[in-house]
Amino acid sequence: MIFEAAQSLLAPSALLAVFIGTVAGIIVGGMPGLTATMAVALLIPVTYALHPLTGLVLMGGVYCGAMYGGSIPAILLRTPGTPAAVATAMEGYPLTQQGRGGLALKVSVISSFVGGTFSTLVLLLTAPLLAIFALKFGPPEYFLLAILGLVGIVSLAEEGKLLKALISGVLGLAIAVIGTDPISGNLRYTMGMRELFDGVSFMPALIGMFSITEMLKLTGASHIVHETVDVKSIKREPMPKGLGKFIGLGSCVGTLVGILPGEGATIAAFISYNLARQHSKNRRLFGKGNPEGIAAAESGNNGCVGGSLVPTLTLGIPGNSVAAALLGGLLIHGMIPGPELFTKHGVITYGFILSMFLANLIFLGIGLFFAPYFARISLIPTSLLIPGVCLFSALGSYAMDGNIFDVYVMLGFAVLALVLEKGGFSLGALILGLILGPIAETGFAQGLIIGHGSLGVFFTRGPCQILWAVIVLLLVPPALQFYRNHVRQPIPAAD
Amino acid sequence: MNKRLVGPALLAGFLLLAVLLHRSTAGYPAFVQGSTASYVRFLAWSLGILCVADLVFSLRRRTAGAGEDETGGRNPRRFWSLLVLLAAYSWALGIFGFFASSLVFLPLTMAAMGSRRPLPIAGTTVGILIFVYIVFVQLLEVSLPEATLF
Repeated sequence: MIFEAAQSLLAPSALLAVFIGTVAGIIVGGMPGLTATMAVALLIPVTYALHPLTGLVLMGGVYCGAMYGGSIPAILLRTPGTPAAVATAMEGYPLTQQGRGGLALKVSVISSFVGGTFSTLVLLLTAPLLAIFALKFGPPEYFLLAILGLVGIVSLAEEGKLLKALISGVLGLAIAVIGTDPISGNLRYTMGMRELFDGVSFMPALIGMFSITEMLKLTGASHIVHETVDVKSIKREPMPKGLGKFIGLGSCVGTLVGILPGEGATIAAFISYNLARQHSKNRRLFGKGNPEGIAAAESGNNGCVGGSLVPTLTLGIPGNSVAAALLGGLLIHGMIPGPELFTKHGVITYGFILSMFLANLIFLGIGLFFAPYFARISLIPTSLLIPGVCLFSALGSYAMDGNIFDVYVMLGFAVLALVLEKGGFSLGALILGLILGPIAETGFAQGLIIGHGSLGVFFTRGPCQILWAVIVLLLVPPALQFYRNHVRQPIPAAD
Repeated sequence: MNKRLVGPALLAGFLLLAVLLHRSTAGYPAFVQGSTASYVRFLAWSLGILCVADLVFSLRRRTAGAGEDETGGRNPRRFWSLLVLLAAYSWALGIFGFFASSLVFLPLTMAAMGSRRPLPIAGTTVGILIFVYIVFVQLLEVSLPEATLF
């Protein structure tokens, strides 16, 4: 059946659909505010008129391309095209400032390719088995998964600023409680503003804190790249050695996190980034432009693509919002998720899965070929670049919900970010808290209800115990470091 | 404000926020006191304890607020111009719509950022707006801010 599926994929219409979908996905992913979910949802009525395989591979191409595309503006402009690209921006943008944007883009596309291909392979070979694993996760496990993501705050902390990073993370979690109470449905801290009923939109907040803040900082520079770098030469650098283990790590984490319904590429990218930072020999380079961080984060978020389709295709439970839109595409063609998808509709389903290998190859080719040209964006004078980036940032913030209020949210968070940075707080930790807050709160509250008010529910279940073990293992090294720095050694007084 | 004072001032503000957050949970319905209210109280306690700990360490080291001061340090005039122009643009989007506001915002900001040649200014402005029209309006049918004034 797989051979038959491969043959049907070789039809010119299917191949063209994969190519168009992937290119469109890269463009959509590269624009802050335009999401893969939006693009796939827009394609559903279009695909109705197409052959089911052509329609599905078109949507699959958009999904794969968009996940990679988010990293391009993140690396070049510190403007993450998707929330999953925040960790990539933290390492990629400093490399761009050093005139090594081409290398960052190359690491990003190769890691994305490996992560995406690995997760598609897992989807092809073990989908039904892994779907059972996804069903074992309940609210207590989701709460602990959010905690696992939040442990990343410890990694995001600069040396000597662990407490400030933790405060930033808790502040992010506190901002995330604004809106409707997930259990009672009551409104909290909305100050009567209708726009806050669904909480603070994190995409405008993210754009404000990363993109606008950076543009404000660039007002004093003529180019993104530092003046000391020869701005005329964007060199073609070879791939650094030793990235394989970080790409492998990100691919596995991304695939596993992607399988869990409701979890997303953002958590996968942060967990992978955190693990890479803890196990790197070049830990001091993190935050200053370390390709290892890009490799882990990008393979992590692209690893989610195949993973998120495991519960979608086998159980009809979408792994994330893009998978939910894809599910809509399946349903309009009369393809009901479950065993029949792999038997009765096997040719189309396997054709769709195989097309994702092709989509990964297409964005790899595009990414490698265009990386040096994309990198030249960093050579545009800031006098022309800043207004353009600001316009697309405002547009991206607005486009998410079609609300002017979100443009003000973007601006407000940009100002907040400047003040917090001046005080030595961590923006990465704050945004991580903001993203993971709703998952943590819902998991915690529902877990307590399941446990009849007892906290024991977070400790007695099997998956919870495994997650606790991972959390403790990740916390031990930084805790020891903190103890050595602040307790054992006397703190030197300032002049 | 003095850079050294920003850190402690923010910590004091967050401490106050923690107290207010904790007190606010008393107003939650009784049936969520053991769930979401507990979560918010946990956040309030965490924030409070961390702020106190950081204040103590900051006082011991006397190096609070050591963040990089890049907020307009290199070119304050352009920094504040961009901030004001962005605020005005956000306001104008809701009144004049996307294209009219952007047609003014882009060249004004380019001039404020130091661009003096009219051709690149006009070319970039027109290029960006045509791109937005083709990709956002025609291809993706994304709704852009519309004018409410006319």
